[in-house]
Amino acid sequence: MYRYDEFDQAFVEERCRQFRDQVERRLKGDISEDQFKPLRLQNGLYLQLHAYMLRVAVPYGVLSARQLRKLGEIARRFDRGFGHFTTRQNIQFNWIKLEEAPDILDELARVGMHAIQTSGNCIRNTTTDPFAGVAIDEIEDPRVWAEIIRQWSTIHPEFLFLPRKFKIAITGAAEDRAAIAFHDIGIRIVMGKEGRSEFSIYVGGGQGRTPVVASLIRPFLKKEQLLSYLEAILRVYNLHGRRDNLYKSRIKILVKALGIEEFKRQVDEEWEKLDKPSIDLPIEEYERIAAYFEPVNLQAAPIQNEQVTAREKADPAFAAFKRNNVFAHRVPGHVSVAIALKEPGKIPGDASADQMDAVAELAERFGHDEIRVTYSQNLVLPNIALSDLVAVYDGLVAAGLCSANFELISDIIACPGLDYCNLANARAIPIAQDIAKRFGEQKKAEDIGPLRFNISGCINACGHHHSGNIGILGVDKKGTEHYQITLGGSPGDDASIGSILGPSFPAEDLPEAIETIVAIYLEKRENPKESFLATYRRIGKEPFKDALYNPNALNSGGQSDALEEV
Amino acid sequence: MPSWKPCVVTANMLKTGDVVYLGPQEVWVRNIEDAVVAHNSDELAELEAAGQRASDAQLVISVYAMDVDVVEGKARPYTVREIIRAAHGPSI
Repeated sequence: MYRYDEFDQAFVEERCRQFRDQVERRLKGDISEDQFKPLRLQNGLYLQLHAYMLRVAVPYGVLSARQLRKLGEIARRFDRGFGHFTTRQNIQFNWIKLEEAPDILDELARVGMHAIQTSGNCIRNTTTDPFAGVAIDEIEDPRVWAEIIRQWSTIHPEFLFLPRKFKIAITGAAEDRAAIAFHDIGIRIVMGKEGRSEFSIYVGGGQGRTPVVASLIRPFLKKEQLLSYLEAILRVYNLHGRRDNLYKSRIKILVKALGIEEFKRQVDEEWEKLDKPSIDLPIEEYERIAAYFEPVNLQAAPIQNEQVTAREKADPAFAAFKRNNVFAHRVPGHVSVAIALKEPGKIPGDASADQMDAVAELAERFGHDEIRVTYSQNLVLPNIALSDLVAVYDGLVAAGLCSANFELISDIIACPGLDYCNLANARAIPIAQDIAKRFGEQKKAEDIGPLRFNISGCINACGHHHSGNIGILGVDKKGTEHYQITLGGSPGDDASIGSILGPSFPAEDLPEAIETIVAIYLEKRENPKESFLATYRRIGKEPFKDALYNPNALNSGGQSDALEEV
Repeated sequence: MPSWKPCVVTANMLKTGDVVYLGPQEVWVRNIEDAVVAHNSDELAELEAAGQRASDAQLVISVYAMDVDVVEGKARPYTVREIIRAAHGPSI
């Protein structure tokens, strides 16, 4: 993984000094809150309901054991003993004191971390595949380019005050696991002409109050031209993106207003004018950065392991974990292990300081010192020898991190909602807890199969509800929390926006409604292999709608066994 | 004339971010039941002026007046948001 050079380290330390000075001046009253607010936001410090919240950048979701330990230490010393992993592969601390924030940034700088550009109208953390570098379906490791984008976008003088925040995602695999279609810019590494890998560039995707699936703007872009092309897109957006209306200021609105063809024409025109050699990365610099991401030197080993097989036979919980949380690795005899921070009944994405320490230790002992954060608020140990899998699993059991529900219905993505967030209209966490518990039984969850479930506490959609196979949006209805259900969203290659099913439900009725929806799916699916999304796309939303809003009509037609549970 | 709803003034402490309410003698208190309740617009104006002074003195930020119910003379929050704030922690 990438390690800070002297320039990076000096820059981050200088920012820490600046911020310490800004906080001191604020506490003395030399600067007002209006003057200070943009400064603290540039360092990831928000004011939430109960306290300040610090959002720490985890560049493209990659952490070393030392960094994860430091996050655990910060949770213990400065927070209430836990942190919350986010849908941008970052981590948030919910109980921060302003007077201690400079000390936290100093601690982060010691391990090459910071909170810069985790807020504000600038280019945010680049999302990528949590299995980058190890996935069997990968064309090329996207982390190299994610790091290049990080360096290019960090305090880029032209792009620190964009009309609105700006999010980029990149994937290098056949399967999109970075939700590129829901980003301002999505980048896919593809096989181009003459067997050279190139980039396909998508633009104008996003969630929020106006969900949009990104449009393809350039099917093939030479990789060495990436930065100048990104710069051209950003320039057009920076110039023409709306600054008069917060809700219309994202690039998706501009792309929609102009149409993709006109937007592309303007980007090409801008790109023509740019002095590309001064922007694009020289090959030597590319190679210098790429060297940090050389694959871990792993020896191929047998793809069966007696200890693993024996444990699978003897221990159903281990067998379930292996079925759901263990993934093929490009090197035979190795696997990637997903750690679901989604034990039913717990807060999605939260990890205690002790759990962070435990994962760091497993990464050091068995995982070549690398941990990934997924945008689904889970962790991944990407490089585990199959022969170490049992030991890793036992370590996870001891840490209370052995939920075998990765990407099942109870692996719910949820924002902090009204329990913490100043913007939220409704709570998300208790809803996630209730629903996850309903589907907590392993056999039931596995029978339902892969199902992306998302909950957002407001229309800003931090819980990505638009892209959930089942999505929940919290709304304020005359002072009470209500929840709107959307069905049919997908964040992947077949990206789609969920469709609203009907009027919203009060919190107490929501779990039943979800049970009904799942029961309809189980009843209607053609076979157990047909996923929820596939069934939904085949039968449409009417059967679900009828079951929820017009059950009497169903009764007269003969109610199924599944529905009687409701 | 619009109907009047009793109010208290709330804020977050600058240094810690803690939720507080304006109590008697312009002291900021943690417990909403200890907050001074404004029963009319003149009383609210006084509370808001005190809130502004505390803001100017770098003691608190994000000062605002919020409607409350009054039970046995004490303020009670009634929106979900303010119930969660007054509890000083998440509902879970």
